[in-house]
Amino acid sequence: MDKISVELTVNRKKYKIKVEPDERLLDTLRERLNFTGVKEGCSIGECGACTVILDGKAVNSCMVYTFQVDSSEVITVKGLEIDGKLDPLQRAFIDYQAVQCGFCTPGMLISARALLNQNPNPNREEIKTAIEGNLCRCTGYKQIIKAIESVVKKDRSE
Amino acid sequence: MLEFEAKKPENLNQLLEILESKKSKIKLLAGGTDLLVEIHNKSDRLKDFDYLVDITSLNELKGIEAKDKYLKVGSLTTHSEIVNSDLIGQEFPILKKAAKTIGSTQIRNRGTVGGNLSNASPAADLITPLIVLDGRVVLKSNKNKRELRLSDFLTGPYQTDLKDNEVMTELKIPFVDSNYYFNFQKVKRRKAVAIARINLAVIAKIKDQIITDIKIAFGSATPTARRFVKMEEYLKNKGINQLDYDLIKDKTGDEMVKITGTRWSTPYKKPVVGNLLKRALQEIIKEVQ
Amino acid sequence: MEFTHVNKSEKRVDVYEKVTGRAKYGADLNFANMLYASVLYTAYPYAKIKKIDTQKAKKLPGVVSVITAKDIPNNQFGVIIENQQVLANKKALYIGDGVAAVAAETKKIAKQAIELIEVEYEELKGIYDPIEAAKDDAQLVHDDLENNQVVHHPLRKGDIEKGFKQSDLILKREYSTSFIEHSYIEPEAVIVVPYQENSTVTVYGSVQNPFATQNAVATVLKEDLNKVRVVQNQMGGSFGGKDEVISSMAARASVLALKTERPIKLVNNREQSIKESYKRHPYKMKYKIGATKEGKIKAMEIKAIADSGAYACQTPFVTWRSVVQATGPYEVENVKTDTYGYYTNNVYTGAMRGYGSPQVIFAQESLMDELAVELDLDPIELRLKNIYHNNSITASGQKLDNHEVSLKEVMTKAIKKSDFTEKYRKYKKEVKGDKKRGIGLAVSFRGCSLGAEAIDAAGIILSLKKDGSLSLYSGLAENGQGLKTVYCQIAAEELQIPTEKVNFMEVDTLISPDSGSTVASRATLIGGNAVKKAADNLIDKIKDYIAEQYQQKKEEIKLKDGFIYGKKDIKIMSLKEMAVKAAMEGVYLTTYGWYVSPDISWDEETGHGNPYFTYVYGCQVAEVEVDTATGEIEVLKMTAAHDVGRAINPANVKGQIYGGVSMGIGYGIMEEVVTNEGYIESTNFDQYLIPTVKDMPKLEPIIVQNPDPSGPYGAKSIGEPTLELGAAAIANAVFNATDKRIRSLPLNLEKIIVGKNLSKGGK
Repeated sequence: MDKISVELTVNRKKYKIKVEPDERLLDTLRERLNFTGVKEGCSIGECGACTVILDGKAVNSCMVYTFQVDSSEVITVKGLEIDGKLDPLQRAFIDYQAVQCGFCTPGMLISARALLNQNPNPNREEIKTAIEGNLCRCTGYKQIIKAIESVVKKDRSE
Repeated sequence: MLEFEAKKPENLNQLLEILESKKSKIKLLAGGTDLLVEIHNKSDRLKDFDYLVDITSLNELKGIEAKDKYLKVGSLTTHSEIVNSDLIGQEFPILKKAAKTIGSTQIRNRGTVGGNLSNASPAADLITPLIVLDGRVVLKSNKNKRELRLSDFLTGPYQTDLKDNEVMTELKIPFVDSNYYFNFQKVKRRKAVAIARINLAVIAKIKDQIITDIKIAFGSATPTARRFVKMEEYLKNKGINQLDYDLIKDKTGDEMVKITGTRWSTPYKKPVVGNLLKRALQEIIKEVQ
Repeated sequence: MEFTHVNKSEKRVDVYEKVTGRAKYGADLNFANMLYASVLYTAYPYAKIKKIDTQKAKKLPGVVSVITAKDIPNNQFGVIIENQQVLANKKALYIGDGVAAVAAETKKIAKQAIELIEVEYEELKGIYDPIEAAKDDAQLVHDDLENNQVVHHPLRKGDIEKGFKQSDLILKREYSTSFIEHSYIEPEAVIVVPYQENSTVTVYGSVQNPFATQNAVATVLKEDLNKVRVVQNQMGGSFGGKDEVISSMAARASVLALKTERPIKLVNNREQSIKESYKRHPYKMKYKIGATKEGKIKAMEIKAIADSGAYACQTPFVTWRSVVQATGPYEVENVKTDTYGYYTNNVYTGAMRGYGSPQVIFAQESLMDELAVELDLDPIELRLKNIYHNNSITASGQKLDNHEVSLKEVMTKAIKKSDFTEKYRKYKKEVKGDKKRGIGLAVSFRGCSLGAEAIDAAGIILSLKKDGSLSLYSGLAENGQGLKTVYCQIAAEELQIPTEKVNFMEVDTLISPDSGSTVASRATLIGGNAVKKAADNLIDKIKDYIAEQYQQKKEEIKLKDGFIYGKKDIKIMSLKEMAVKAAMEGVYLTTYGWYVSPDISWDEETGHGNPYFTYVYGCQVAEVEVDTATGEIEVLKMTAAHDVGRAINPANVKGQIYGGVSMGIGYGIMEEVVTNEGYIESTNFDQYLIPTVKDMPKLEPIIVQNPDPSGPYGAKSIGEPTLELGAAAIANAVFNATDKRIRSLPLNLEKIIVGKNLSKGGK
């Protein structure tokens, strides 16, 4: 397989890499660039553990080949934190006990962040739609929804 | 193991040239939400290919635009774009409703109309509404351009009439007048991220309490999604207050069995297609009143 | 009782690393010079392996080693019965059996190499139904055994003939359940490093039970236990599921690591995980119940058959819990229960949250509602006439006299909160339209911890550092449930220091005390007691030191807010200052706490004894809407009342309830590993459906606290009780809505419409 040059911005930093055609964005992030906060759970776009923000939209990074997304911008869970300051969603997940095993957490946070970036004032149904593709086996989702809603409410009061 | 090279044409002409020169053994890649699953699964449906051609950057295949008599939907339009399009919400709310039920937010952000139609799954959620809307697909090759009814484009489960040198560029959906009512139903095993166990799209023109025109298409009930023509004929010119639902239910089930034959799932699907049509009709009638 | 840390919703001690993506799970680890392993699975569920040719694979550039069963020093392991093959030797017994394993420079090469291994099989006709397997002339799954029976647990009490004679009504019903996949979102991962320090192999990864895996790997390698080190990494969920399958993977990787003298990484993808890993047992159950017309149960006769699949795994203990709990929390004078496990060529079955209880609860709680209908009694009234209360005698003859038997309390609270009585009456009436609502409930009692399965003890080591921080070494392990937080809270409570000053060290067999497995909802109860003991021992040492050095009376010394106080509550010094001084003076401030559970007993012949030293009680109410046109069920609301003794961390307890309820809904209406003659058809999350956020109803958790004399601060168990009731409550709600009684799980679309399961095989 011939390698293809790709330029990617991940968490606000530029990377120039050469990838094989069948290298998934998930592989690039985890194995090449060491963003291991992106998780692999099913490899077929069903569980959402590998969710990243790609050019502003939440996508499953297992469903994208890296060569497809040349010049794109990617945000992973690592990029939610800026200069050591946690994203309000991360704080809320801590405060609302929205985490158990934590394996779905990075994808869940990313889906919620993508939603709030597009719609800072979502209702509960919109929150559910944003995370319907993120499976969680531990929490029953309840504390996750509450955590996301708490951030929305804070935004409202500001 | 699958070995392939990748290509990323910059415009439609380049793509058409690639398709022409290489002839077979090329696989087009758009949103990837079906293709990458098939590659992962080494699916039997995946024919041998040695070139993967990514078309996601072809702007010619993007955009939703109102033309004189129809709505043009670029084949690279994502399901999310359909859900968020005001134009579609206004003209074809049924499409929006169906698109909303496809996969998850992540899938809808990547998956495209062209991909959904080309994959030709019997359960595809966009296919049934587009069949009743009489949608057409535009297929282009280097030298040729043709337009096909969606129902003609779909030749079997996971099979289409797309030629090796062609690409689907757009979808044309004829506008319908305001006397038409739309309804979409989907039965699923869970409430989100679920493949349709059965789906149903109905459009009906109702004037003075009479059904003057109706189109009904079921997905996942027959080998490929298709219209239930006998039921349409039966319903045509019936008054909306004189419908014999028990008869409609029976006839719908019979029509399904006639097309599909008896399968392991027939005892379930036969009554349910009828129940669904009844529900769709009742919802439409409620809207009329 | 006033607490500083316990009984408070303190934040999880592991949460920062989890929300920032810093938490390292098995697949996130890498070692220098590491190789990637891949496993070739059998092509058939049951087949003779006639020849394996690995030559082509070995010749592929980048392949370092290929192993088959011949390379495994001891090819059989198991916690209870050692009959699980590391790699299939003469025969593959189920579709997830490995045949060969490869180690290569890259993942891709390892995968390619797998495809180059040529295996000659002779496909055999397998046995896929435990009822068939039970027959006298059934062919044997294991050639060296006399029959296919894994285990039989009998329980006899009173005289059922007499009991049935005294009954006005006798009901006979059959119920069944399906294979269930744990569906931890993190697929299994292990990394084995050879010859690190003095360990022959060091195993890292998603190991639920490090000591079980240590045992298995040592057995397989024929190595001493002290040469096999297992270190647990963050667990992306387990629910009972990362035990034997991980041991098997660790054993394969260990053999490869020793062959190549390089670290080996073996990570499953989802398909491999679902194919290879054990499942929750499907049960086929026959219940016969006799009652007077007033609703007093006189006799129960129960036969439950569990499909053990290819290996024994945990079947002997899973079916044992079933035999103890099969009658439900009801006083029955005359009982005859038999539970069995049989080998088949299906995927093997083992521990999964619930562990033999969800199956029998589904049967017994459906049966109670059926009985209520036949007797024309209200389901609550019928239950109240029969449920356990203080001093009740259980089916095995145990007198429940050492803790509060709070069944009536949990029932009453759940019924009230869910408005059960009114809704039950309302929904029973015929309504127009396709969508019918219903409400149903289920109750349970559950033995805490291991019971008579095994020795039940756990240890904790606490080490006070010279800066006043505290290291906690535990033999029980975090699976995601929140054990680390609970243990740190208990240590902080006892020593009166901030919880963040306690650091839970990862479980490492090198130093952690072997405490058995983190299973059976025993971590808070057994391990929590051990933390308390270790802390109390540490306090004792501190007091001894202060008493001697500062002429204080030991009984007047107190620890509070990080300081040490003496006579008349005068502040002597901070804990930190004391730690520095003690260290300089050679006072050793490391202690251990070892907790052994109270006595229990069991007679295998008769099923008599006190199988568990305490119990928890729960009641869940489900409210559903059934679409009778399509078969879809929407669960609208679940009310869950659970007596936990004492909630060490109420927010965590709620988290357990929400998660358990969600799993119960999945079990009730959608989850099923579809198998066809041993082949698994649902191998990923597109086919094996678990609840999404949109499938979750309104949840109403009710935490009931009756402190138990045997628990730390009175705390008992919550993990498993939350999952075992949902399916039964939903089935009863569906009946309330539709008058249709469905006796097999899951209650899927087809069963609602057609009344029976439909499947491709036509069965």
